[in-house]
Amino acid sequence: MTKLAAVRASSKVIDGSAAASDLDLSADTCVVGSGAGGAFVAATLAEAGVDVLLVEEGGYYTTRDFDMREADTIPKLYQEGMQRTTADLAISVLQGRAVGGTTVVNWTTSFRTPEDVVDLWAKRHHVGGFGYADLVPHYEKVEERLSIHKVDEASMNRNNRKLFDGCKALGWQADTLRRNVYSCMQTGYCGTGCPINAKRSMLVTLVPDALDAGARLLFRCRVDRLDAAGGEIQTARATLLDTEGYAVTGKRATIRAKRFVLSGGAINSPAVLLRSGLDSGGLVGKRTFLHPAIGSVGTYEERIEAFYGAPQSAASHQFARRGAEVGFFLESVPSYPLLMSTAMPGFGATHAERMESFAKNAIHAAITIDGFHDDVPGGVVRLRPSGAPLLDYPIVPALWEAFRFAQKRLAEAQFASGARSVTPLHDPPLVLTQASDVDRFDALPWEPCRVPIFTAHQMGGCAMGDDPKSSVVRSEDLRHHTLKNLFVVDGSVFPTSLGVNPQESIYGLARLMATRMAERR
Amino acid sequence: MERRTFLKRGILGGAVLLLGGSLGLGLWPSRVIALPTRALHVLDAKAFQVLVAIASRVVPMPDADPVAIAHAVDEALVRVPSEAQVDINRLLKVFENALPGLILDGRTAPFTRLPSTAQDRVLERWRDSRLVMRRGGYHALRKLCLGAYYGDSKTWKRIQYPGPPDTAGFDFDDSKAGTPAWLTAEAARQKTDGGAAP
Repeated sequence: MTKLAAVRASSKVIDGSAAASDLDLSADTCVVGSGAGGAFVAATLAEAGVDVLLVEEGGYYTTRDFDMREADTIPKLYQEGMQRTTADLAISVLQGRAVGGTTVVNWTTSFRTPEDVVDLWAKRHHVGGFGYADLVPHYEKVEERLSIHKVDEASMNRNNRKLFDGCKALGWQADTLRRNVYSCMQTGYCGTGCPINAKRSMLVTLVPDALDAGARLLFRCRVDRLDAAGGEIQTARATLLDTEGYAVTGKRATIRAKRFVLSGGAINSPAVLLRSGLDSGGLVGKRTFLHPAIGSVGTYEERIEAFYGAPQSAASHQFARRGAEVGFFLESVPSYPLLMSTAMPGFGATHAERMESFAKNAIHAAITIDGFHDDVPGGVVRLRPSGAPLLDYPIVPALWEAFRFAQKRLAEAQFASGARSVTPLHDPPLVLTQASDVDRFDALPWEPCRVPIFTAHQMGGCAMGDDPKSSVVRSEDLRHHTLKNLFVVDGSVFPTSLGVNPQESIYGLARLMATRMAERR
Repeated sequence: MERRTFLKRGILGGAVLLLGGSLGLGLWPSRVIALPTRALHVLDAKAFQVLVAIASRVVPMPDADPVAIAHAVDEALVRVPSEAQVDINRLLKVFENALPGLILDGRTAPFTRLPSTAQDRVLERWRDSRLVMRRGGYHALRKLCLGAYYGDSKTWKRIQYPGPPDTAGFDFDDSKAGTPAWLTAEAARQKTDGGAAP
């Protein structure tokens, strides 16, 4: 038996779906969520000798489940089976749901939080508890543990190569990316769970580290609410889910702990607080940022095969800073049949014709940087009557302007790298055959549900800061402003978006804060 | 209707209020195209019929089985919140209903009773509607049908997708070098007990 399989089968792992009766558990620290934030907290605390119980709503899947087929993997690995959207159905929300969280399905792009963003948090959002210099040693440890390294140009697949070459031909900034992989064979299927454990996701690194150091893991367990009394959280009350992960088994779990850490991500952590009646005067769930993204399909003479090779290995931040206008960055999107068929416009014969060029398509995205402008307030997480979260994200005019501008730049880059035609994802579609026509995009309808918009980066909703009037947790240790044993450690604490893919920002911050928690114990 | 009011009522619930739809032309029964071949999880019988009709227009290819697609969609919908499950049933009824169809699209028959070219017109009208709810509904239904169809490997040849690569022999397992003592002890204990971990 391999080590990962042995950990998976050990008595430290409790499958909530198999519990024959209600569970009554206790621990020094209960960490809710096993993704980028929770796994680092659990491992760091466990290694410092803390008795940790890690609780995860999703399933505990392994390479045996990662067969690179969307129909098998998407239902298992994504929130709501990848059917999560914003309230008006305008934005598709791509978010993981499994032991290891979104790190199991992300595309491996790794950036430290830009130093000027951390500085801006201090200046404008009262984040005084740490500075960029405090994060650096933790980024270094994270990068070592997760094999984060910059890839070379030769390893780019054709999809990324087209983006890179197109940007360079236009004189735009472009660079290769840093990825958290070791011994990667470039299957291209990072988005459906790495089939060979080359991706250093939390599933194969920090979750096993936590278990190795003595932590326990309870999965298929959804935390419904936290019970507060006397200025502290006393218990977490949870529902156990069946093997498919959505129906309840009828069994419940009650978890007592001296300390609770919420790490459910920017949609689910606010939802737990709201279900618990802990809305911090209306701040919880507000200022939710998504890096809303649009796509562009460039069709080339040759096969691009955007399904093979590292999904993301190049990016351009040429348009990240646009002053008073909303900036964006350009990255590639892998192309799998199900995902691409739903993004491509039209239906019937028209859609079928578009799918015929599937293997010759390059797909690139413009990812807008929300949360830095006063006229881009972000979204709001609320509760549905059932208690499930509902994200309302109004797409404000400043974002539409950025989308329209970005759609032209994406087309220019694709034509500059040899595309024969370029199609935005509007429905009905508009197909361009020359770069000089990009201003025709001005006439497209820039309205919700006329063009697909995606988010793979959910941030905010439980902002950190030192002013309780504008933040939910304090910035020195991410402890709740009023509840002294409750912490929030995940992407929800960011006061703005990041302008870069978020996973390493969450890792570094979680490691710093967990180290402080362990020292102050 | 203001966006806020609309959202308060629920996107699709608001649509039902807005469009009415339980009287008059709304009583014209749906055409039963094909019965479900197994138990339904989320959709009711009428919604299932409408979805079969939509699937046959969204994916009209000879190798597509609209009933199989509708079943796959029904099974995928178990993963969305209960409110969204109610919404999708309502959405399909509104889509079918001739009364809002008459008001907004100038048709007099339920969707399931229209000839295929007229059905395509209805889909286009929803796509191009001024109401974000109708556009969102069009895309939700379109994407559910397309996802169910292209999730099936029989479509791969037509789109020249060779399928996933062979990864045999590449499985990589470190996490940290060596197997910790507690795991070795536990594995030995399990072997002795002849059973799985408690």
